[in-house]
Amino acid sequence: MREEKSNHPLALEEENFSRRGFLKKLLLSIPLIGLIFSKKGYPFTLFKSPVGRNRLRPPGAVPEEIFAGKCIRCGRCAEVCPYRSIYMLDAKWGVWAGTPLIFVEDVPCYLCMKCVEVCPTGTLMKIKQEETRMGLAVINKRRCVSWLETALCRSCYNACPFKDKAVKLIELKPVIIDDYCTGCGLCVHACPINPKAIYVEPVYSFVRVKWK
Amino acid sequence: MRISTVRFWILSFAFLIILVNPFLNYYFHFTFIQGWYQSIAIGKLWFVSPLEGLEAILVSKTLYLPLIIAMLIPILVALFLGRVFCSWICPISFFSELMERGLSLFVKRRKDILVVPRWLLWFSLVGELLFSMIIAAPIFVFLSPPGLVGREIMMWVFFKRFAIEGVVVIVVMFLNLLTRRFFCRYLCPLGALLAFIGSKRRLRIAKDDNCVNCGVCDRSCPLGLNPSSGDFSHYCWNCGECIDTCPKKALSFVWLGTDRRC
Repeated sequence: MREEKSNHPLALEEENFSRRGFLKKLLLSIPLIGLIFSKKGYPFTLFKSPVGRNRLRPPGAVPEEIFAGKCIRCGRCAEVCPYRSIYMLDAKWGVWAGTPLIFVEDVPCYLCMKCVEVCPTGTLMKIKQEETRMGLAVINKRRCVSWLETALCRSCYNACPFKDKAVKLIELKPVIIDDYCTGCGLCVHACPINPKAIYVEPVYSFVRVKWK
Repeated sequence: MRISTVRFWILSFAFLIILVNPFLNYYFHFTFIQGWYQSIAIGKLWFVSPLEGLEAILVSKTLYLPLIIAMLIPILVALFLGRVFCSWICPISFFSELMERGLSLFVKRRKDILVVPRWLLWFSLVGELLFSMIIAAPIFVFLSPPGLVGREIMMWVFFKRFAIEGVVVIVVMFLNLLTRRFFCRYLCPLGALLAFIGSKRRLRIAKDDNCVNCGVCDRSCPLGLNPSSGDFSHYCWNCGECIDTCPKKALSFVWLGTDRRC
């Protein structure tokens, strides 16, 4: 079997090639690997908004209706983010290439509001920390161990920056109060259940723009 | 010192800023300077590229005062000095310059293979703006080659990968092989807008009586203009290449209104 393989002309050629150009091939393939097997390699879209469950815009973002037009993709929000929460999309997301997005399961937003300060186009509007509405946290009561009463867990309550306002413990079960939830995703990041028992839904991203 | 030497140093320095800055931001959390030539902030001084800002205003149909103020300095520079961003700062210009310097070691004289009408530049600007408004997404802000250079460097430093649209930069570089500065000459909407703003610019190139019509300057012009016949129209980007090559020193920069020649 082995002899047969080595006598084959193609096998010889391949061996020759790999010896000669291995290093070159390796060097060339590094960026390509990054392109193909990227961490956030989601399917290709052209016009559909990338915002969805646990995929949120930074604080103060204008509605998705005008986001693509208003954002000039300067990347300054991603550069100033001290927690590296903000990710920049590429052309796989169609016209949304270069816009900032926060994948709260990986790194949530810590609401430092630095990105809001540097946005030059008003795509991220200047708002107060507690008025941020990136989304609304939702608890999956069929998965949350506190709600299932299998264990006593309050990870989301501990992680929440607005304890006892946005998340309340009622009879030791976490409850989200939508008047105060900023949708920062800290609770999602903290949830120990796999898959997560809490997620952030971007309910405010798809409202119609109000004309003043 | 020759103008082209100074210009090359400034181009290198401008590229160095966007090359080094993401490293400072990422590894040292030093965010005094942010962004690249789409929008750059030096401390609290903000600059926004005029076309990107204009597109953001037109497509989203909203006004935001800091954006307009940030566009002010680039617009004033273009108004008085013309399209100098393109020839003195733009990273694509830097790459093209490097490429041309490299190529000149092997090829003595290159001919422009593909020559198309110059008004294509205006068509590119208007078409790009209209198309952006139709699909409600600004094309040039995520496919602008000067911006993409900065974005790719930032993507590599921050996320250890390149964005796919970086292919545009490679295509632009390949077009350079066809015709010198093909993209800058005929296609760049930002260049078109800056040229439009600077059509009444004060800084111009003027020719004096020493000219013997040898035509050396015509061959040196990266945009394929004819300085020998006084062709310093809106398309000229004040790079000073013709001033350097003139053997009779007949060409020079003049400030309009202070010189009697124009």
